Amino acid sequence: MVSNDMASDMVSREMQLSGLVQISDPPRGPVAEVVERLIYPFQHGEAPEPRQATGFYTDTTVCIGCKACEVACKQWNQLPSDGFNWSGNSYDNTTELSASTWRHVKFIEQFSAGSSSDAAPGEPAVNRWLMMSDHCKHCLAAPCHQACPTGAIIQNEFENVYIQADICNGCSCCIAACPFGVITRSEMGGHSHKCTLCYDRQRDGLEPACAKACPTQSIHFGPVDELREQARQRVEELHRRGVRQAYLYGDVPSETYSEMHSFYLLIDRPSVYGLPDQPFNPWLNMMGDYVRSVAGGFAAIVVLLVVVFLLRS
Amino acid sequence: MNGYANIPITKVPGWHGIIAWDALLNGMAMGLFLAAAVSELAAPAHFTPVAKIAYPVALVLLLVDLGLLVLDLGDPLRFHHMLRVFKPGSPMSVGTWCLTIFSLPLTAAAALSVLAEFGFDFERARIVAVVVGLLPGFGAAAYKGVLLSTNAQPGWKDARWLGGYLTNSALLMGCAELLVLSAVMKQTQATAILRTAFNVLLVLNVIPLGLLFRNLQPAHARLYTREQQWRVGALIFVAGTLIPLGLMLLNAGVPFILGSVVFLLFGSWLIRFVYVKIPHTAPLVGGESKLP
Amino acid sequence: MPGLGASFGRGAATNYQQDMANSDCILFMGSNMAEAQPVGFRWPMKAKEKGATLIHVDPRFTRMSAVCDLYVGIRSGSDIAFLGGLVNYVLTNNRWFHEYVQAYTNASTIIEEGFRDSEDLAGLFSGFDQKNGAENGTYDARQGHWGYEEHPNGDHTKSAHSPEANSAKDPHGRFGHCMDGSGEPYTSPYQDMTNAQRDPTLQHPRCVMQILSRHFARYTPEVVSQVCGCTQEEFVRVAELLCNNSGRERTTCIAYALGWTQHTTGVQIIRTAGILQLLLGNMGRPGGGIMALRGHSTIQGATDVSTLYDTLPGYLPQPAVHRPEHEGLTCYIDYGGMPTGYWANFSKFIVSLLKAWYGEAATPENDFGFSYVPRVDGDYSQLAYFDRMAKGGVDGYFLFGQNPGGGGPNAGLHRAGLRNLKWLVVLDWFETESATFWKNDPNGPPPAEIGTEVFFIPAAAAPEKEGSLTNTQRLIQWHKKAVDPSGDCRSDAWFVYNLGKRLKQLYAGSTDPKDRPLLNLTWDYDFDEHPRLPDGTLSRIQGEPDLEKVLMEINGHRLDEIDPRTGRPRLVSGYSELKDDGTTACGCWVYSGVFPEPGRNRANERKITDNPVQPEWGFAWPNNVRVLYNRASADPDGRPWSDRKKLVWWDAEKRRWVGPDKPDFELEKPPDYQPPTGAAGMAAIAGNQPFITKADGLGWLYSPGIKDGPLPTHYEPVESPLGNLLYPKHNNNPTVRFFEGPLNHIAHAPTTEYPVVGTTFRLTEHYLSGPMSRFNSWLNELQPEMFAELSYELAAERGIVHGGWMTIQTARGKIEARAMVTRRLRPFPIEGRVIHQIGLPFHWAFAGEIVGSNANDLTALLADPNVSMHESKAFACQVHAGRLEGDAPHATVPTANWPTLDPIPDTPASAQPEGRLGHGK
Ligand SMILES: Nc1nc2c(c(=O)[nH]1)N[C@H]1C(S)=C(S)[C@@H](COP(=O)(O)OP(=O)(O)OC[C@H]3O[C@@H](n4cnc5c(=O)[nH]c(N)nc54)[C@H](O)[C@@H]3O)O[C@H]1N2
Ligand SMILES: Nc1nc2c(c(=O)[nH]1)N[C@H]1C(S)=C(S)[C@@H](COP(=O)(O)OP(=O)(O)OC[C@H]3O[C@@H](n4cnc5c(=O)[nH]c(N)nc54)[C@H](O)[C@@H]3O)O[C@H]1N2
Ligand code: SF4
Ligand code: SF4
Ligand code: SF4
Ligand code: SF4
Ligand code: SF4
Ligand SMILES: [Mo]
Repeated sequence: MVSNDMASDMVSREMQLSGLVQISDPPRGPVAEVVERLIYPFQHGEAPEPRQATGFYTDTTVCIGCKACEVACKQWNQLPSDGFNWSGNSYDNTTELSASTWRHVKFIEQFSAGSSSDAAPGEPAVNRWLMMSDHCKHCLAAPCHQACPTGAIIQNEFENVYIQADICNGCSCCIAACPFGVITRSEMGGHSHKCTLCYDRQRDGLEPACAKACPTQSIHFGPVDELREQARQRVEELHRRGVRQAYLYGDVPSETYSEMHSFYLLIDRPSVYGLPDQPFNPWLNMMGDYVRSVAGGFAAIVVLLVVVFLLRS
Repeated sequence: MNGYANIPITKVPGWHGIIAWDALLNGMAMGLFLAAAVSELAAPAHFTPVAKIAYPVALVLLLVDLGLLVLDLGDPLRFHHMLRVFKPGSPMSVGTWCLTIFSLPLTAAAALSVLAEFGFDFERARIVAVVVGLLPGFGAAAYKGVLLSTNAQPGWKDARWLGGYLTNSALLMGCAELLVLSAVMKQTQATAILRTAFNVLLVLNVIPLGLLFRNLQPAHARLYTREQQWRVGALIFVAGTLIPLGLMLLNAGVPFILGSVVFLLFGSWLIRFVYVKIPHTAPLVGGESKLP
Repeated sequence: MPGLGASFGRGAATNYQQDMANSDCILFMGSNMAEAQPVGFRWPMKAKEKGATLIHVDPRFTRMSAVCDLYVGIRSGSDIAFLGGLVNYVLTNNRWFHEYVQAYTNASTIIEEGFRDSEDLAGLFSGFDQKNGAENGTYDARQGHWGYEEHPNGDHTKSAHSPEANSAKDPHGRFGHCMDGSGEPYTSPYQDMTNAQRDPTLQHPRCVMQILSRHFARYTPEVVSQVCGCTQEEFVRVAELLCNNSGRERTTCIAYALGWTQHTTGVQIIRTAGILQLLLGNMGRPGGGIMALRGHSTIQGATDVSTLYDTLPGYLPQPAVHRPEHEGLTCYIDYGGMPTGYWANFSKFIVSLLKAWYGEAATPENDFGFSYVPRVDGDYSQLAYFDRMAKGGVDGYFLFGQNPGGGGPNAGLHRAGLRNLKWLVVLDWFETESATFWKNDPNGPPPAEIGTEVFFIPAAAAPEKEGSLTNTQRLIQWHKKAVDPSGDCRSDAWFVYNLGKRLKQLYAGSTDPKDRPLLNLTWDYDFDEHPRLPDGTLSRIQGEPDLEKVLMEINGHRLDEIDPRTGRPRLVSGYSELKDDGTTACGCWVYSGVFPEPGRNRANERKITDNPVQPEWGFAWPNNVRVLYNRASADPDGRPWSDRKKLVWWDAEKRRWVGPDKPDFELEKPPDYQPPTGAAGMAAIAGNQPFITKADGLGWLYSPGIKDGPLPTHYEPVESPLGNLLYPKHNNNPTVRFFEGPLNHIAHAPTTEYPVVGTTFRLTEHYLSGPMSRFNSWLNELQPEMFAELSYELAAERGIVHGGWMTIQTARGKIEARAMVTRRLRPFPIEGRVIHQIGLPFHWAFAGEIVGSNANDLTALLADPNVSMHESKAFACQVHAGRLEGDAPHATVPTANWPTLDPIPDTPASAQPEGRLGHGK
């Protein structure tokens, strides 16, 4: 969260921003355009100075499912709506993250049959409605980033995983690589998109649109190490209050996956929230796969050579 | 109670069927070049004539394959963005660079081979090009499997032996194509050698294929009934291995060789197709439906 | 909200939303704050983080229930039973706050001999007179002896307060209120309160405490669970939580909204909560009070400055024709005011108002132009008015930002009314149901058969105009104009101001006395110099009024003093400066102080200080008090009840009331002050009487000022599958007002034809009848279709499948909806039967980018006696599987795609990093 006075100069900053215009001179004439197209991707910019790593800590226990974060994200990033389909899956009509939906609030109705009072003795009656605002996890070692052959996906100065949509050529490797199903390729334009962690806002000293819109501060934005501290205290607090199930997802690396710059406080199995129970980074297998691949080829070549040598004369 | 537990998490890349063809053509192109190069370098006397035809054919196959690759991009006009960086950690990047680099010596080899037909013979240069092409060519064959196994897709992510199989089968197919060429060109010597090599490689290829199937077993069990699995497995084994082997052993006549190779290619395509379909296929029992 | 006015004096939320963070326990009942006021809900969540207990009592398990510590499901319309049960629990278990109740409430007051309670008369109070034949009637409080027992030696000289006069006096007017049903900040005193008899021992059989105990004695946990459908354990848990979190050290807040107000017993539900909070000693204290969570931005303002037909600004009664006591100013003041308490200043308020309106033309000689004030000649509450309209009694109508054709109860009848008009002017952002009813209403006749001429005036949106909004906690906040409205759009103020100017032109020079009111009206709000936009450029709009001038007029002026800084009359610093001799003008006394000096618009202040009350953020009426009656946060001797809960206390050195909040009390009046006999005005309020707008300065457990009885009584909703378990002779509130007619059939309780209990509710994703959300695809994609929430059990009974279609039918109409079968709703076991309940969002209709069936085609036109509130929160219906025959309404093509359908933009150059290509670390 941001302090009040900080918030207030953010307000004034936003005023100014709305006045700003994007400067870019479009190439004139077909030839110029072709040339532009050819050289554009090779013009590498200056790598900005590394800054304090930022991220999200999402406390699902205080989420009220208001979807303000979803709307704020679409509004700030001017993302098109995905059409009007009533899913019937509780209040979740967004259903998934995609190139045009970078925030997705999930609803999980957990009610045992029969009212809370007449629950069968022994098994405690569950009466809860879980809500969770999902988005890109900004993995420290991000498979999507590792997969990207064009360098469109980079880790920016805030250590956020960022897709430069003007570089992306839609090869879809990142889509295949993301263990969380965050990225898809847009039908319009054919490029991949996902949460930018409001890179443009961060650059201008503003907190991300979703975090700013969240009324209950379910979405905490800030320096990751501070967030981790805050989150751990919250978990202890919840444990003290008897919410034994509370735990953090993605705040620390596991054997199979790096820590995530946006992590969650959950109170049920990850898979219940549509998250992999044990996220796995495919790159842990890459070297082995290369070896097997080369071996397979070599074996064949050797066989071929042997046969040729034996039957030469 | 299970919330989103039964809804697939990962998103499927929009690669469609094209990639199955790409995997096939990639293998055929690299395989043909490598087989030709290796055997020509090992026994020029027997193989140079076929090789000189093989290189241009490989080039054609490669170009078609590249075409498919570009078509598969969301924004084909940005294909060259692949070349703005080299990322050893990204199989796609490695592959693209191998293919690009490989395309140069291959083109040279092909061109010089064709010129040679018209009497402009730069033999030494041609050999140099072939040698230079070996490494990138091998890389271009070897990356494909790694690309399709280094990701989070259900099934694919467990395919430890995909690379092993694909590269191996690339050479098998290459050998097969070379065999057809030599048979058609009546290169009896080369044909004889390659027939034997083909049979051995065919048997050898069963090993990575078996290992790959073991990797994929759990995924298949999720997607197909035992019976379906048996049917497809049998089809692949019979069409892709037994029949080619049988025909090849039966008779050395061109029709038999052709038939055998056609069956092999069909089998190889089928394997790639079934593999590519895995993430696109909905699990057998959807568990409890989406609606609470 | 007279429910609050009747108990405490002022009809507004007593605390502020930020203060909910100070609560130890919050009971949400009839409110779904997390979905309806999500931003304000951050404060209850803060309280929860600090360890407070949140309770939600609601027929549906909602997004708020999900974050509350305890959810209890009760049947729609059973709230008085539940709350009455709590009152009974507190009394029988002796859990009430003795010092507080003894000192600050009218518990000890003795009631007239002749009064009979509903317990004695099987569901009726004394004084009921029933038009023969009619199923409903009215109370005559005087006949019923609802009043206070007078002291034998009290003086009867105050003629204005003789019983005769009192009986005629009726601060509500005979008529009700608008939909949001806000109330006036006082209720009529029965007689000279300072003179009432008391029994401090609370033992007298006719003292309020005893009457109260008897009245609620039958509301036992058993009865509660039988009527409400919750279990006794659940009820007792709630009761214990409230008791354990009230007292010296702890406070409990009760928050309500439409789940309480939208009932024919709404006012009495709120009264019951008032009684409970007085008994627990939570009023006037931090983290306590009753939060009325209101809706429309500035709906509170609309009732303060009064867009209501039956009050003048500042809750002064609207003079009516045929009422002798409203003929001249003097008797109007006599009847309107009160001898004691703050309302003794009544004359100052009305005279200053008249000076503000008629300026020079308002002189002592002509009663300050009191005769110019239009007299109301009937019931102009929305429901009664549209009932008349539907029956063909109205020619023309202006709709400023309202969509009754979609959002009005029994919207079909509302549309029928619009069809009967000769002309209709709609000022709106969008072409709403009320603007397109003549062509798009799927249930309406062909356009050719409709005579109404509709004028659509495009309205400016909030960022395109300046002005003030008064929110649910009486906080007046100014908003500046960001941009000019596009095209022909104009602010509502522009429209009204210029309409007024033209009318004045039209009648200019007329000598006809009946034109005087219009010609004498002060109507001069032009900008001194042409206004500029924030970016410094001149505004494109001509003729926009300067709303700060209007706010200054509302704040008030000293007409006899010129401010050297402005050369204009000096602004008053607050209503204490107002006079009744015509030397002050004030447009709305409760807002006085909002513009204390030139250039200081306190509504526009946004200063964050280290005072937790944040007194410099906006301006709260009255007098910037944030917690009403905060004198009660200290004990009778002026010491805080506890350190933990201190807010305002008596500083013996300074000899004044101090604390973080502005004291809602005379600053210098010591706690031990006792009024001399016969004292009038504020002098009659003792130093230990916090409820200063009550004539006796006390919180009213027993309140004679309400039309359906001095004490709350459980009645079934007018439409209910059940009879009244507590008073079988009287199923419904006997004073309900009906609007019978072919378009408004009622299924009287108990009905077997419509066995399912229906209610309507809001979704966070949509706004009211939908115009403000159903034209926005970002919101539409989040809740794209009309649906109904029902239990697994009901679905199984009727063969309705989740995600499939179902139809819902009432005596008014039939609609279709997608079935949302969920365990968040449960059938209620009641009187050995299973009662099913369904919930319907009311956001859909036939105009907009997404359209669907309208829940308000099902609801009924009914009015509670106090504020003419309808009963959209409880009605009887029948449900079936399947769809309606005939074709569904189709979406209106939006004038512009919003958001645009362009591809997702490439990374802007401004955000073009070239980062490290390293694969993480
Ligand atoms: N997103 C959004 N916010 C809004 C609005 C909107 O349309 N959309 N409208 C605004 C306006 S104008 C207003 S007035 C407020 C209204 O705010 P609320 O009154 O909180 O909204 P509702 O959903 O109408 O009703 C609240 C709850 O009352 C419950 N209820 C129904 N019948 C009963 C009953 O008999 N007893 C009890 N105890 N509960 C019952 C419903 O299930 C519902 O959960 O919201 C304001 N805020
Ligand atoms: N069944 C059922 N019915 C209900 C309720 C319920 O709970 N259940 N709730 C009731 C309640 S609490 C309320 S408040 C009413 C609300 O009912 P309405 O007052 O009709 O509210 P809306 O339907 O939002 O219509 C408001 C209109 O004002 C327009 N508007 C917005 N801003 C401006 C402006 O600045 N100027 C102008 N000129 N127009 C503007 C909007 O576009 C919209 O068309 O609905 C009531 N109806
Ligand atoms: S969550 Fe997926 S998209 Fe986001 S950084 Fe990790 S891998 Fe990339
Ligand atoms: S689709 Fe775009 S972002 Fe994703 S890997 Fe390919 S180039 Fe990179
Ligand atoms: S950080 Fe920005 S882009 Fe990411 S979800 Fe939030 S609003 Fe959307
Ligand atoms: S804005 Fe906050 S509370 Fe609302 S849905 Fe998003 S995360 Fe939850
Ligand atoms: S819509 Fe406005 S008033 Fe309503 S909760 Fe959101 S911010 Fe508050
Ligand atoms: Mo409202």
